[in-house]
Amino acid sequence: MSTTTTASTEAAARPPKRSTGLSFDQKMTPGGTVVTWVVLGVFLLWTLIPLVWMLLGSFKGGDDVTAADPKWFFTPSLENYVGLFTGANNLLPYIWHSVVAAVVSAGLSLVLGTLAGYGLSRTRMKRKSDLSFWIISTRMAPIAAVVLPLFLMFRFAGLIDTLPGLILAYMTFNLPFATWLMQAFFAEIPPSLEEAALVSGCTRWGAFWNVILPLSKAGLVTTGILCLVFAWNDYAFASVFAGPSSQTLPIAASQLVTQTGVDWGQLTAIGTIVVVPMVVLGLAVKRWLVTGLSLGAVTGE
Amino acid sequence: MTQTTAQPTGGQELAPERVQQMKDPRRPRRGLGFPGLLMAPAVIFMAGLSIIPFLTLIGMSFSRVRLLGGAALEWRGLDNWARALTDPNLWTSWASTVLYFVVTVGLELLIGVGVAVALHRVLRGRGLVLSLVLLPMFVAPVIVGLLGRYLVDPTFGLYTNWLQAVGIDIDPLGSPVTAFIAVALMDVWEWTPLITLITLAGLSGVNPSILEAAALDGASRTRTLFHIIFPSISNVLLVAFLIRSMDAVRYFDIITITTNGGPADATKIVPLRLYETAFRFFDLGYAAAIGLMMLAVTIAMAKVFVRLLDRKGLAQ
Amino acid sequence: MTLSRRSLLRAGALGAGALAGGGLLGACGSGSQPAPVPEFTGGDEWRRFAGTTINFISENTAPTAAIAANLQPFTELTGINVRIVNLELSALVQRVALDLASGQSQYHVIYADPYQVLAPYSAGLADLREFIDADGYPPLEGGLEDFIPTQLAATGTFEDPDKVFALPYDCPTMIWQYRQDLFDAHGDRMRDDLGFDVTPGMERTWEEFFQIAQWFNAHVDEVVAGVGTQSKQHDSLMCDFSNVLWSYGGEYFEGGSEIGLRGATDPGRSLLASDEAKEAAAFYQRLVGIAHPGSRSWDWDGVGNAMAQGQIAMCVNWHEFASGNEESLPGQVSYAPLPHGPARSSAHFGGCGIGISGNTGGAERGAAWLFVNWATSPQTQLANLASAAGGGTPTRTSVYELPEVQAAEQRPSELPNMLTGPTMEVAWRDDVIGLRPKIPMWNECDTAVFTELSKMLAGQQQPAATMDGLARRIDQIVARGWQA
Repeated sequence: MSTTTTASTEAAARPPKRSTGLSFDQKMTPGGTVVTWVVLGVFLLWTLIPLVWMLLGSFKGGDDVTAADPKWFFTPSLENYVGLFTGANNLLPYIWHSVVAAVVSAGLSLVLGTLAGYGLSRTRMKRKSDLSFWIISTRMAPIAAVVLPLFLMFRFAGLIDTLPGLILAYMTFNLPFATWLMQAFFAEIPPSLEEAALVSGCTRWGAFWNVILPLSKAGLVTTGILCLVFAWNDYAFASVFAGPSSQTLPIAASQLVTQTGVDWGQLTAIGTIVVVPMVVLGLAVKRWLVTGLSLGAVTGE
Repeated sequence: MTQTTAQPTGGQELAPERVQQMKDPRRPRRGLGFPGLLMAPAVIFMAGLSIIPFLTLIGMSFSRVRLLGGAALEWRGLDNWARALTDPNLWTSWASTVLYFVVTVGLELLIGVGVAVALHRVLRGRGLVLSLVLLPMFVAPVIVGLLGRYLVDPTFGLYTNWLQAVGIDIDPLGSPVTAFIAVALMDVWEWTPLITLITLAGLSGVNPSILEAAALDGASRTRTLFHIIFPSISNVLLVAFLIRSMDAVRYFDIITITTNGGPADATKIVPLRLYETAFRFFDLGYAAAIGLMMLAVTIAMAKVFVRLLDRKGLAQ
Repeated sequence: MTLSRRSLLRAGALGAGALAGGGLLGACGSGSQPAPVPEFTGGDEWRRFAGTTINFISENTAPTAAIAANLQPFTELTGINVRIVNLELSALVQRVALDLASGQSQYHVIYADPYQVLAPYSAGLADLREFIDADGYPPLEGGLEDFIPTQLAATGTFEDPDKVFALPYDCPTMIWQYRQDLFDAHGDRMRDDLGFDVTPGMERTWEEFFQIAQWFNAHVDEVVAGVGTQSKQHDSLMCDFSNVLWSYGGEYFEGGSEIGLRGATDPGRSLLASDEAKEAAAFYQRLVGIAHPGSRSWDWDGVGNAMAQGQIAMCVNWHEFASGNEESLPGQVSYAPLPHGPARSSAHFGGCGIGISGNTGGAERGAAWLFVNWATSPQTQLANLASAAGGGTPTRTSVYELPEVQAAEQRPSELPNMLTGPTMEVAWRDDVIGLRPKIPMWNECDTAVFTELSKMLAGQQQPAATMDGLARRIDQIVARGWQA
């Protein structure tokens, strides 16, 4: 990586190096280390067992998955995954709908939310805090209550059972969230940066685009990922706005709970399919998340 | 952290007018101004998708809603509101909601911060452990609920089986207290990692020189933790608290999938009651009244947080 | 605020427009009649709507699983594409109600649960007589008479017996399911210990059922418990309890079983505070007390699973679980009608019909009827019986009379659900079948019933107090009335 002084903007945009050696407990005793690892070990077990059990379940065939004596060792089988794509089931459209709705809604929310968040952080309007609060309060509306009026509006506009409809529905919670989060990031970037850019002849847009945005990579990544996760995992909205041509993966999972029994094998398989992409994505940007979620707020003054 | 000084790039001529424009709050604006223009699309979008439903909700709460033949409202005055305020079942639900909120968010904060502090102490292997710890927050709540059911099923559940092995022969979702604990723990399982992540982010940002100073003063570790570390990450903790609080009561997928409010209404928190009033009983007027109550409570709560944040100078 | 007062006012005006509801939102189709079905111009009646696509929304039941797995014949026969949306019942009800409210029809063929869809929204469903009696459509094979009459009335009509809103599509009914192998192995000892013939059937009383379960608890290690129940705070708890209630002579409403058969908007006062109902509640509480500890978190799946896993010796459950039982415990589970109480033996019927959304118009309306006709036809019902995807049991007399179906009532059976055949013949008799009240506000009453019962089972209230409180609450719910 380049470590020149001229590229200082770039340096700030990188996740900062971990403060190795500067932890508050350098003089940790051996006993302290043991306690720490025990805490972490217990928490790891608590976290991982359900996921591992789900993963194992998805490879269990026949009655193994609901055996009264839980089986850790068994003959692995792909029948659950095969079952999800054959016969009366075809998961492909569900996957496609989930991907499109989640990615597009997260993308649009990020773009609009970034613009609005920047505007909000730099505006000098009088009732700024009210506007800011109103924005975040739209994210808090109880889902079951707003769904009916939204449904009637969407129906009126012909958006029910369409991917654009689903995308709009997801934006009702993602856009305010993105705006609010991005605003917090931009608020931490000193306006003197833009001023300097303006002095040097940038337009305001240019200052935003060339100076501020590159400094906000961590924020952008964090916001984008969180929006994506919220949309991908949504069940409440999809259960109202989706239809035969826009069903999503969480809906498919709930459909496996049938009147004549829950197909736990396929259920664990579908669970794995829903979880893996988000996990991979989340972990890929983990370091950005750590930086991003500090909201740049902690300067240690 | 952001000590950057941007390098002048292109032409050197000054644009004092623009700088002035940014600096002077009293300068009269022309139209929306640049920030206003940037905000406009999102604000218009959010207004469209929130103001109309909001007004409709208010109208519904004073009416009886008929569905067939196109939705229509019949004026009913204060009926729904009177009912909402006098419905003992609804008040029981409010009590469960408060309890659920306190237990889940409380445990999440407690465990989340604890794990973050432990993780922060670890130097080797932190990346890997953090990756593993974060996994649950990426799992869809529906899946968490289904997985929870799978794990505590009285016939084949792994956890029930283990409990039986140590002599505790219970059906976790079968009695009020254990069912409440079980669904709360599922929520804790899913969302503790988010708190851990945010706290860890805060911890990594603590200024090392303060710590060195504390070490030089000979402050004990516990003292350092409580008197220096926590105060300096309190902003971040508040943000974590706000993010969780927004969703703790809003989402109810986990309970819907597992107990759906039972047994004996032990897990019927308000959003669940709202959902069933709206979409099982289609008593939409009454549901609107409950929904508005919920909205009012959430907003009041958020207002408190934001005021706290404001005092810290974080939220503008 | 950038939102000027004027823009707020404008938004307010928009909202007020939405408030006018009927005006603005009604404009999208309601009030106006759906487009007429295109004229029949001769040719093959089955193929007149070829190229149309229709949506069928169904609860994820056995027959729909079977049909979804084998739609090919219908598409070949008619050229119509059917898209099936399978949902859990409460999700289905939500979508159907919203769809009807929108004045259009996203879903053309509707799985019309008699209590949750048909009763509240019969005004939104098409009267199928429009097609049954019309020219230009293939005839309904065997006519309406071929459907088991009680089932047709219970699942297809509401208040006006001359309007048929749905054709019987499935017919799960609750029966006694027990481990034949365990009864064979221990039956004699059990009989000697208990002092009565332990053969399951309606000759047994509920009290004897209780004692048998208790005996298994004490003497048989192969199972965790003698009986399992479906006592989760869920619809299943109401279903399970109703059998006992009716056997003890209790009723939900003054209108009695007529309300289950014909349906009513005003069912009269609730009778749940009667002595019979209280006795039933007390018995049910005792029964759950000795049942498998999982019972209070099981719905029908849970108890079905426990049965299949060999955890319990017997249970009361929907007869369609037979095919699953046969798969997990081949040859080991047998079936009988439920025990009797002081009044009678009863078998709770949970069948549903399929109907057509009244908002459906044009070719889709005709195509929807062809699908309803085909999906309830004898050939399809026979195919469902044999389906690997589970499959329900027929709702038509003629199918039960087919030799291959009758042969399947004995082991080895090609159509395992038919092992319940002889039991069902009894269960569906007019004096045995149990029908819950078909009233538009049943959903809320149902929720009250299973919530209060759940509180009773959790030890929070006594049976008598439970039933008194329940009767009051149900009267309140009914008093609010219903307007779709």
